[in-house]
Amino acid sequence: MPEPLPSPAEELATEEAQEGLPVDAGTQEIAAVIAVPGATAARRRKKPFGVGAWLALGWLVFVIGIALLAPVLPLKDPINWSDPTLKLQGPQWGHILGLDQGGHDMLSLLVWGARPSLEIGFGSIAIGFVVGGTLGLIAGYFRGLIGELLGGLFDIMLAIPAVILALAIVAATSASVTENTGSHVTNVTIALAIVSVPILGRITRASALSWSDREFVLAARAQGASHFRILWRELLPNVLPAMFSIAVLGIAVAIVAEGALAILGAGVNAASTPSWGNIIIGGQGNLSEASHIVIEASIAIFLTVLSLNHLGDALRARFDVQEARI
Amino acid sequence: MRTLVTKLLRFIVVIIAVTFFSFSLIKLVPGDPVNYIIPFGSNAIKAQLRHDLHLDDPFFVQYWHWLRNFFTGNMGRYYGTSFGGGVSVSNQLWKALPFSLVLILYAQVLALAVAIPLGVITAYRAGTRFDGASNAVAFGFLALPSYVLAFFLAIWVAVKWGLLPVSAAGKEISPVSDWRYMILPTISLAVAQIAVYMRLLRSDMIATLREDFITTAQAKGVPNRRILFRHALRPSSLTLLTVAGLNVGALIGGAVVVEVIFALPGMGYALFQAIGAKQYVAMQSYIAVIAIVYVVINFVVDILYSVLDPRIRHARAAA
Repeated sequence: MPEPLPSPAEELATEEAQEGLPVDAGTQEIAAVIAVPGATAARRRKKPFGVGAWLALGWLVFVIGIALLAPVLPLKDPINWSDPTLKLQGPQWGHILGLDQGGHDMLSLLVWGARPSLEIGFGSIAIGFVVGGTLGLIAGYFRGLIGELLGGLFDIMLAIPAVILALAIVAATSASVTENTGSHVTNVTIALAIVSVPILGRITRASALSWSDREFVLAARAQGASHFRILWRELLPNVLPAMFSIAVLGIAVAIVAEGALAILGAGVNAASTPSWGNIIIGGQGNLSEASHIVIEASIAIFLTVLSLNHLGDALRARFDVQEARI
Repeated sequence: MRTLVTKLLRFIVVIIAVTFFSFSLIKLVPGDPVNYIIPFGSNAIKAQLRHDLHLDDPFFVQYWHWLRNFFTGNMGRYYGTSFGGGVSVSNQLWKALPFSLVLILYAQVLALAVAIPLGVITAYRAGTRFDGASNAVAFGFLALPSYVLAFFLAIWVAVKWGLLPVSAAGKEISPVSDWRYMILPTISLAVAQIAVYMRLLRSDMIATLREDFITTAQAKGVPNRRILFRHALRPSSLTLLTVAGLNVGALIGGAVVVEVIFALPGMGYALFQAIGAKQYVAMQSYIAVIAIVYVVINFVVDILYSVLDPRIRHARAAA
């Protein structure tokens, strides 16, 4: 059995150590993220996609499915239908998950609420993935001035705590917030996308930095391949796994952040667009007499985040295998 | 020495950049910021405010004025008559900032105090049922948003059992003597960090325990407890320290949410109120201060890091 290749994180760390450079905090953080426990074991034998990962995938497919099918499912209208006489009532016939503080059906609120939550989670990370990934790849491949500038840009963006940055962007950009009607899904998505750019960018940069030293990149360059071709055909396929696993975790963070923004008054407008986050905030005032509202919405967030975290970890373990086969 | 100078220069650049960003925020507000600050003010008052904020000057001149005022502690006032009108922003800030810092410190100390022993023991007992259970619980807590935990703690511990006060709304409280108010916020903030730190330390510790010097120590007959906490902990704690430093950013973000939930008079609550009341002048300063605190903490961690890791210290001495 050949000696397993070091992971990009280890390589990056040793590389910098050899050059006599201090391993900066950022590299260590990334190394900590890439070097997962059990990765060495996983590298030796192909780890099967466990039961947990299938369950996680199943839950995500289910949630995405009902979110997409919400308009055709036989549900009460989450906004226009309400029965004030039944408000705050727990699960019962006709309302298997109970009703909220406004007498709306919890089941349809949760199904419709999945839409903005998932849109924000997947949308923001998709944008961050493309923008941050492109910038990170460029920064890792073209070292020198461009790399330094982009790396500095990421550092500056990361210098403002993520929630504060997102809050500031939503507060400053959505005119509707200033009229106290809440903000649009788009505003929240873009704010979280901006926040995710430096995170994904830095991971990609670190990974691209280590891969671009490899012989196959040198070979491609010697054959006269263009920069674009090297980036697209040689580096990107190798960098994608690290990006993917971080992105999956990022989706979970974005879904949670949507709720945090709602608490801070910069979330999606609860009256027109119920989301998991603002359902929790809405039910919080009645937590002692009608805890089912917060509990149900929390379970929805919890299971989704748990699934995404588990998948992220599973992807990392699995992709490490391919990395070692090169 | 050279690396220190480079680091210092970088630090200054980042400080300038984040203050510039905080300042520019007001430019992102659609329309004339003066209309948001005093929508019903007369034209004369609006013109006065525009002059006070240097809105008539070129952008970089405005920034320069603002930056100079900011660093001399002159951060302007709350405008309008409704919410805190006329109150000086820097006064508010000096009350709120220590509060948030103490809250974050409590959360960090609690998280490390629980996570370090747990991380060491799970690494030592890796693969056992205890290890598996701890990891599963930690994984679960990672998926639990801190605000959900905060709501449940508030309802069960504070309202139903009446053990601790629920909210500090409208009260002047000190984070030290009124510690009863701080318990639930600290726990809500710390739980997710415990999970992160424990998992990190565990994986680093497992790697360290495979090293030769551990075998040597065992061969010498050093007791296990001493090996774990004296020999293995320090080399395993580097990633933990860095992440704990970087995590201050996440803690500041979490603290904002938790402060709002428990109505604690910290930076987060002040920022939340400023945004809600459209106090953009205050908002600029709060965001700038939060960012600067975070940058300073990271800078200190970066320096500490090289003190703690002899390899970096020696590499530096050689260079």
